[in-house]
Amino acid sequence: MSFVLTAILILVAGLGWAAELSYWPSSNPEEIQLARTLVEEWNRLRPDIPVKMQPLPAGQSSEEVLLSAVVSKTAPDVCSNILPAMMGRFVRSKAIVPLDGFDDHERVLYGRTDARQVERFRSADGKLYQVPWKSNPVMLVYNAEIFDSLGLKPPRTYGEFAKAAKVLTRDSDGDGRIDRWAMKVSIKNLWWQRLFDFYTFYVAASGGKTLLEKEKAAFDNPAAVSVMRFFREGFKNEYFPLSGSAGDVFLDGKAAMDVAGPWAVKYYERIRPGFKFGFSPIPVPDGHTGPVYTYGDAKNIVIFSNTRHPKQAWEFVKFLISKQADRRLLEITNQMPMRKGLTSDPYFADFFRKNPALRKPAEQTARVAPTDESVHLVQILDSLSSQFEACAVYGEIPPEESIRAAAKEVQYIYDHW
Amino acid sequence: MTIGRRPAERAGLLFVSPYLLFLAVFSAYPLLFAFYLVFHRWDIVSPPVYVGLANFSYLAGDVKFWRALLNTALFLALHVPLQIVFSMLIAMALAEKIAARGFFRAVFFLPVIISGAVVTILWQKLYATDTGVFNQLLACLGLPPVRWLTSTKLAMASIAVMATWKNMGFYVVLFLAGILNIPGHLYEASRIEGASRWQDFRFITLPLLRPTMLLVVVLSTLGAFSLFIEPYVMTGGGPLDTTLSVVLYMYKHAFMFQHMGYASTVGFALALLALVVVLVQKRYLDTEAHY
Repeated sequence: MSFVLTAILILVAGLGWAAELSYWPSSNPEEIQLARTLVEEWNRLRPDIPVKMQPLPAGQSSEEVLLSAVVSKTAPDVCSNILPAMMGRFVRSKAIVPLDGFDDHERVLYGRTDARQVERFRSADGKLYQVPWKSNPVMLVYNAEIFDSLGLKPPRTYGEFAKAAKVLTRDSDGDGRIDRWAMKVSIKNLWWQRLFDFYTFYVAASGGKTLLEKEKAAFDNPAAVSVMRFFREGFKNEYFPLSGSAGDVFLDGKAAMDVAGPWAVKYYERIRPGFKFGFSPIPVPDGHTGPVYTYGDAKNIVIFSNTRHPKQAWEFVKFLISKQADRRLLEITNQMPMRKGLTSDPYFADFFRKNPALRKPAEQTARVAPTDESVHLVQILDSLSSQFEACAVYGEIPPEESIRAAAKEVQYIYDHW
Repeated sequence: MTIGRRPAERAGLLFVSPYLLFLAVFSAYPLLFAFYLVFHRWDIVSPPVYVGLANFSYLAGDVKFWRALLNTALFLALHVPLQIVFSMLIAMALAEKIAARGFFRAVFFLPVIISGAVVTILWQKLYATDTGVFNQLLACLGLPPVRWLTSTKLAMASIAVMATWKNMGFYVVLFLAGILNIPGHLYEASRIEGASRWQDFRFITLPLLRPTMLLVVVLSTLGAFSLFIEPYVMTGGGPLDTTLSVVLYMYKHAFMFQHMGYASTVGFALALLALVVVLVQKRYLDTEAHY
């Protein structure tokens, strides 16, 4: 009898029944489809490590859901929707498995992603916890029909932007009010909105710098002031709409430019089939030299510490960042894997031939900066957002003063909280 | 006498125990834990750290908190009178023998049962500067568009109007019940004496509605203190923090910045203020109606 029981136990262990992994991808339709496809392929290839996929549960934001999951010890084994800025809090609570424990982690990570990009994700304690997965460069998107009809080219500098904006901004029905604007900019005081206007333009103007350096504000500089002035002038001259709209002013043709990443392509196709658009680098201050960087909206993969199968989870993670999986990521979601030589690799060549609009974002992936890893990042961006609103949107305070105040607030946040 | 000694008492305790358990788990425990957090700093993932009265001293010097409090007071000053006037007027109209009275009673109550988030999104579209219905109506009259939600002067008033519309049905029901409770012979007697409709309202309806009025004032004041969903969805607290309410500010600290201790302090401060305001209202409005 005991022999039979032992045999059953060995069989069960051998089949790996106890090793089912849980995997949480993002809950947007394209990424659910991607995750479903990849998990099906994985379960076919590795029946010894079955994976169960569940989209991130609904909540106000992925970050809040993940924090709740960590606290309630219901986090999955693997999650692929990690905002690098959130890592500080997770690392502090020892919620993530450090990758240094896997012998082949350097070969895998540096073999796929540029070393400089990998290093950007190293945590303050010197360890690597996150697997760089995808980074969507945030770029200028323009309405190609409007630009072509006016013989305009996408602006590269603030000077060129102002010239184009004068042509693009107009009162088309002659009622004395502007009804077509140069660019769509959100006026809502929401911390994450600033990632897609102030922060993106700051990364471009500063040559790839981020907001913080050793827990201190690193943005009290001319680049940040020039960005704040750029937006202030835009609102003052009505290049950007200072009003609430019921729809998407860019897709409705009421704003000629927007700031977005390659993920927007699927959205455009869904909402306005046949919409003609193009991507262009973020405009920089006149006289800017060197390559143009931008904010790379990165989402990475982590293994949570509550996993009982870290080695199996690591095997699955390696599959998620394989060449084949990266190809699926491109095809299904149009999002950019953090992979070296993406546009020169023949494996991806036919994808970019079929999707020429995505070539520019793919090329830009080599020059992106993520957000800083800080437990206070949301509060810092919230404070910057208030300054942006006061200075740029409503013109209440001068750009120099707004940047100085935001930098001072960062110091206060670190000192007090 | 010891509770629970007699069989009837034991049975009674048994019957109320599910509710007591619910109260303990979902009200008493969170309340006590929130009070514990007032003296701590806690980011959800790390253990709480005792900070004494640091949260209170920060609150005293927190400009944004005082700004949020002022905004909430402004909302209160706009919303409560609007709520009382319109609810009472509609209740009076619905108390009359008008055609399709049942239909109108249901229609006015409808917004109350619709989700707050849905109503807010709907009104956001009505308020839209370019395609919103209100500005389309103004355009028909040859008037320029109004920035309902993006003007620092108008945003809070726009929210107050929307909140009044959303909650009015509930207060209409309360006023209607109060009006229908007033004995009809009082009006008959006043008519015989030659009183006008206005005199009926001024000397009969209004005084006898005072208990209902107190209830409406207290409930709408408490509702105004907990203003959250409208600015959260419509304005995010802007423009320039003019619609930042205390509850929205508390939410930001709790769930965006993970400052649970400070958010609890803000919550207790607000509860204390609401209690003071309600006690003052009770002091001045609490009189019994004598028929």
